[in-house]
Amino acid sequence: MIRFVKIFFIIIAAVLAQVTLLSPYLIDPFQPNLLIIIVVYLGLRSAARFRGLAAYSLGLLHDCFSGLYLGLSGFSYLFIYLLIDKTSDRLYTDSRYLMILVVFLASVICGLLDLLLLLIFSAANGIYTTLLPSLLPQALVNALIASLIFTFPVSVAQEENR
Amino acid sequence: MRELFSKYKIHLFTGIFLFVALIFYSFNLKNKEHANPFERTVMNVMAPILRIGAAGNGFVSVVWSDYLDLVNVRKENKELRQSIKILNTRQMENREALIANERLKRLLELKTSLQTPALAASVIGEDGSPWFKTLVIDRGEADGLSEGMPVVAVDGVVGRLIKVAANSSRVLLLTDHASAVAAVVQRSRARGVVKGTGGGRCSLEFALRDEDVKVGDVVISSGIGGVFPKGLNVGEVTMVKKGTYGIFQTVEVRPTVNIARLEEVLVLLQQKHD
Repeated sequence: MIRFVKIFFIIIAAVLAQVTLLSPYLIDPFQPNLLIIIVVYLGLRSAARFRGLAAYSLGLLHDCFSGLYLGLSGFSYLFIYLLIDKTSDRLYTDSRYLMILVVFLASVICGLLDLLLLLIFSAANGIYTTLLPSLLPQALVNALIASLIFTFPVSVAQEENR
Repeated sequence: MRELFSKYKIHLFTGIFLFVALIFYSFNLKNKEHANPFERTVMNVMAPILRIGAAGNGFVSVVWSDYLDLVNVRKENKELRQSIKILNTRQMENREALIANERLKRLLELKTSLQTPALAASVIGEDGSPWFKTLVIDRGEADGLSEGMPVVAVDGVVGRLIKVAANSSRVLLLTDHASAVAAVVQRSRARGVVKGTGGGRCSLEFALRDEDVKVGDVVISSGIGGVFPKGLNVGEVTMVKKGTYGIFQTVEVRPTVNIARLEEVLVLLQQKHD
């Protein structure tokens, strides 16, 4: 129960930081996406049940505070989670560097997937002119934040859970 | 006699010693205000020692009083720093209140100048992705807001409401790719649609090649479409490009509202009427 409360507070803190706290201080393309770091964590390190559902819910939560299209990030987060989950068995998931790299790649893939879905399903023509230039800065900021977060070693309790 | 002397020797010497002391005392009574050689010698010998002692004592006394002072100074310093902090905070709060007052006064002026009823709202969040341009405000359905209502600021058009919840709503900004406002160039009355291009810029679409549009022209809402009232500031023309071919010209518009610094907005309580 305490674990779920902890996770709930982490997610709320991430949304709050992303939408309200960090946005006035960071210029536009350098805004981090903290939720995608959680999705990567779910895919690589977490052993919890319903991780796929959690990743999708995180995407929906992101959509509630971003853009017009509910389900856009839901789909891309789920896709990214499944991609990571299927490949994580072949990877050394304890590595901090792998985590940073995966966060970077996930941010890029998420952006490209969003772009593809927007081009196919929405009338937001020309969105690529905003999305593509901001893709790399956001991925770099996400990787930087991931490097800070995953500096701390995995706790013994978490190790046991795994 | 000798036996007697040896028997009372101590008493005798004690008596003599006392007598000499008495005599010495009595002799000195005459010159009680002047130092005799003995006194002078003792005083001369002791003076430097007393001087050193006095100096040492003074040093200890200074150190002690300095220490006490330091203890007081530290305490006083702490109190002063605390009061400086409180005063600085108050000053900052006053300055902030003054700026907010100025801003709200201008918003109130706008509210009274508008013919439609309006509701003031504070910006409480921004979009989670850099490629969408939306804001979160602290008013919602409970305050009578609904989707599609126009949102304006002191300087002009901000956007329109999308996704209204009970106590918060999201505003689709003018600069978002999905945003479009029917507009007219104030000087030449050239018509077009201001569309968001992301990155804090817009473009005036569907402005015919022959229309007179110049850099610096003010673009205002035309009222067509029924979302925004006529005459609201939308932006300023920053670039005009007329190609060799095509029926339209490319016009870049900079929004008059500085969206990055928006803190309060006005939601116009009017329903879209087509």
